[in-house]
Amino acid sequence: MSEKKPFSLPVVGEVDRRTTLKAGAATLGLAAWAAALKPMVEWASSLDRDEFFQKHYRELTREQLQVILHKLTFEARKETGKPVTVKDHKPIPGVVFAYALNLSICIGCRKCAEACHVENNHDRPSNQSYIRVFEMQKGGIDFEKGNTTYDRPVPGKDKYYMPVQCQQCENPPCVSACPIEATWQESDGIVVVDYNWCIGCRYCEAACPYHARRFNWTKPEVPPDEVNPNQSYLSNRIRPQGVMEKCTFCLHRTREGRMPACLEACPTGARVFGNILDPDSEIRWVLENKRVFVLKEELGTKPRFYYFFDK
Amino acid sequence: MSTTPLPALSYLRFLRQSLHVATEGGWVFYTWMFVLTAVALVGANAWAVQVRDGMIRTNMTDHVSWGLYIANFTFCVGLAAGGVMMVIPAYLYDDHEMHDVVIIGELLAIAAIVMSTLSVVVDLGRPDRFWHMIPGIGKFNWPISMLTWDIIVLNGYLLINLHVVGYLLYMRFLGRKPNPIWYIPFVYLSIFWAISIHTVTAFLYCGLGGRPFWNTALLAPRFLASAFVSGPAFILLVMRVVRLGSDLPIQPGPSRLLVQIIRVAAAINLLMLFSELFTLFYAGGSHLASAKYLFFGDHGKYGLVPWIWSAVVLNLVGTVLFFTPAAIQRSKTRLVACLCVIVGIWIEKGMGLIIPGFIPSTLHEVVEYSPSLTEWKVTAGIWAFGLLILTAMLRVAVAVFTDEMKLTEATELTPATEMP
Amino acid sequence: MLGRDALMLSLVVVMSAGCSRSAPAPIELPDPVGPPRFPVVIRKPLEAPKILTGSVDEKGNPISIGCATCHTTNPSNPEARLGTLLTKFHQSLRGQHGHLTCISCHNPDEGYASLRLADGKRLPYSEVMQLCAQCHGPQYRDYLHGAHGGMTGYWDLSRGGRERNNCVDCHHPHAPRYPTVMPARGPNDRFQTRGSHE
Repeated sequence: MSEKKPFSLPVVGEVDRRTTLKAGAATLGLAAWAAALKPMVEWASSLDRDEFFQKHYRELTREQLQVILHKLTFEARKETGKPVTVKDHKPIPGVVFAYALNLSICIGCRKCAEACHVENNHDRPSNQSYIRVFEMQKGGIDFEKGNTTYDRPVPGKDKYYMPVQCQQCENPPCVSACPIEATWQESDGIVVVDYNWCIGCRYCEAACPYHARRFNWTKPEVPPDEVNPNQSYLSNRIRPQGVMEKCTFCLHRTREGRMPACLEACPTGARVFGNILDPDSEIRWVLENKRVFVLKEELGTKPRFYYFFDK
Repeated sequence: MSTTPLPALSYLRFLRQSLHVATEGGWVFYTWMFVLTAVALVGANAWAVQVRDGMIRTNMTDHVSWGLYIANFTFCVGLAAGGVMMVIPAYLYDDHEMHDVVIIGELLAIAAIVMSTLSVVVDLGRPDRFWHMIPGIGKFNWPISMLTWDIIVLNGYLLINLHVVGYLLYMRFLGRKPNPIWYIPFVYLSIFWAISIHTVTAFLYCGLGGRPFWNTALLAPRFLASAFVSGPAFILLVMRVVRLGSDLPIQPGPSRLLVQIIRVAAAINLLMLFSELFTLFYAGGSHLASAKYLFFGDHGKYGLVPWIWSAVVLNLVGTVLFFTPAAIQRSKTRLVACLCVIVGIWIEKGMGLIIPGFIPSTLHEVVEYSPSLTEWKVTAGIWAFGLLILTAMLRVAVAVFTDEMKLTEATELTPATEMP
Repeated sequence: MLGRDALMLSLVVVMSAGCSRSAPAPIELPDPVGPPRFPVVIRKPLEAPKILTGSVDEKGNPISIGCATCHTTNPSNPEARLGTLLTKFHQSLRGQHGHLTCISCHNPDEGYASLRLADGKRLPYSEVMQLCAQCHGPQYRDYLHGAHGGMTGYWDLSRGGRERNNCVDCHHPHAPRYPTVMPARGPNDRFQTRGSHE
């Protein structure tokens, strides 16, 4: 090797030996880099070419979206062996959703959080849910005295309970934060995430004042027989690893006219849901007749999730 | 340019010689580069595993959703902005001695920007979707999202510095006098731009109404003040290494000036930190929660207390040392002072500012955070990689400025170009 | 004693659940003019409850009897409230529901086989909500406006109906305070310790 003149660098002396050594070191170095990055290659081989080049949800044509939905459905069926359908639910014209919660009758049973967990195909080991129920101390609305990990009969003495989920703000800070429009507000007020577009920077999670957003720190684990087969592209389909997710007011149900899962699970009827544009809706009656309040009103986020006390 | 027969060829030669010089040195140099490469490899591997297994490899949670990576990102942006403190005296005040070494500051800026960009990339859950951020083919939420502003200013700053440094080195390599039209406007732009990168980075945080600990107008000025301490301090260290490890003549003047700058900036930084803390603690209320947790612990949790008090002590000691007469000389005191403030500010801006923004959470849950081994490895890897390219670039710059590397007839295959 | 109470409670719950499924009856809610709407069905008990005697028949099924079996022959005690004064039957009927006496709600004229309103008007058990509404006006008003009581179904009644609980689905009439329950499993976040705010 040293006999040859591999390539001539314009410096004086010792060119051949040094250059050869350097070339050797460079080869070794490259090999080392390749070895170090090998796990990435394993991961990359699991990626899907079509998904990689997939456009933003709102730029997809009807046909393109149909192809994607078919593919997602097919994959989910293959993976779970259940008759999964991944649909695309569009907002209903003339509907803007709002939610109200009666703090006087909420007993803190966490049935809503549990229903959310099941309905939205949440990761089982972390018992993930879009709803966190705070056990609050009577005498104020002070989250500093709140506790989410209570584990004793409810309602406790001198406690009241405050379930918190996405407030579907009219002025959502998470949407402004996103650098790539992977999260946006739809015409019915629901803030959604395109799981196939999100890059997982988690700026929205930092921006949300209500701890409403969740990140998929790993691929969500749901046993196949527990998978909810009624899925939607923007809501409860099983999320990929490394992207954000959030409460969508169960748009796969509510955009079909049904109640969100958390409302149906509530044993006391503390939850009121409906179309805020319909003057005869229950939610309108609550807003007009109860003294409702929103969380962190001073931030100007204009939540569409209202709380009220009866007594 | 027209006088050069084949500019493309001589530029290729410049690149090839740069590559050659950058990999040329004594055993200290090789050991240093070897160690840095090894650490960078460890970091790359840790990152690859993290991408494969998910961010579960980090200790971040939905409560503390940014950690060591973004902390390090913030510091590195400051480091990059700090380089401007050589550019301002050199170009605005025509300090000739500073002018001779200003390239060190610009090279540091390049390396620091690379480090901050890497820190963001490793923080992404889906780095494969990187192209979604590219304006034109992706969806760029500009001007609404502050993160898009940050992408613009950081890449802009990188390009400006690459251009200025590359142009000056190449001209020197050719033995030609640089044409001011081709770099002076960019130098002035870079001064403005250096301020902007750290301001925009502060706006990332202070623009979030839901995070009272960050939501203060003083954040951007504080970022700048601390950047003008850590940046020059880092440059002082680099200059020391370059002076001892090469033939590049470095006058004592620039270092003295940098120490003066540090004195002012450190004092301002401490003053602003103090007024921030006064506002928080005297007024109290729920805005105090993070600061209370940070400095004294809260709800029986004390995770950040050792960090912040280390930072306070290091910053105070460093600042005091910089005010001693010995710091003006090329002394050990100066080195210690530099190390103190660099580490102190790294903690203050990272573990002391990014992390407490999340503790307690927006709904006042206290979930603690300390970086996982993966995070430490990746961060060390980023630093090693940054130092690697900084060393290589310095090596080339020194070679060009000491005329070790230049386009001469001896090395020339094409006819010689004009010499001044 | 306690066992009897528990039985009684389960009886009410089972009855209301069982009966309403078999024969749901629509209730008229304030309905404005508009597109056709699917019904809002309120689960309701259809008949008077039965009392378990504690003994079983030859097949091992528990024997239960209607109110009138005893009450047609036994005179009622107008003073009695929730078991405190009873000496022969129902001693285990304890509970808390204000200062009500038995005949505040139960109709002694029909051997307790029906309810009666405050004005003495007879009311079948299936219409129990009217009885509750006499005193619990605000709750009833909230209920009518969908702001009290669990429900399932459609928010949009032009697309589907709705099924709602009645008062006694959740509130035991003798001790209407909602019972204390164990909550469902809480969050299992990493690094989140139990009771962090205690």
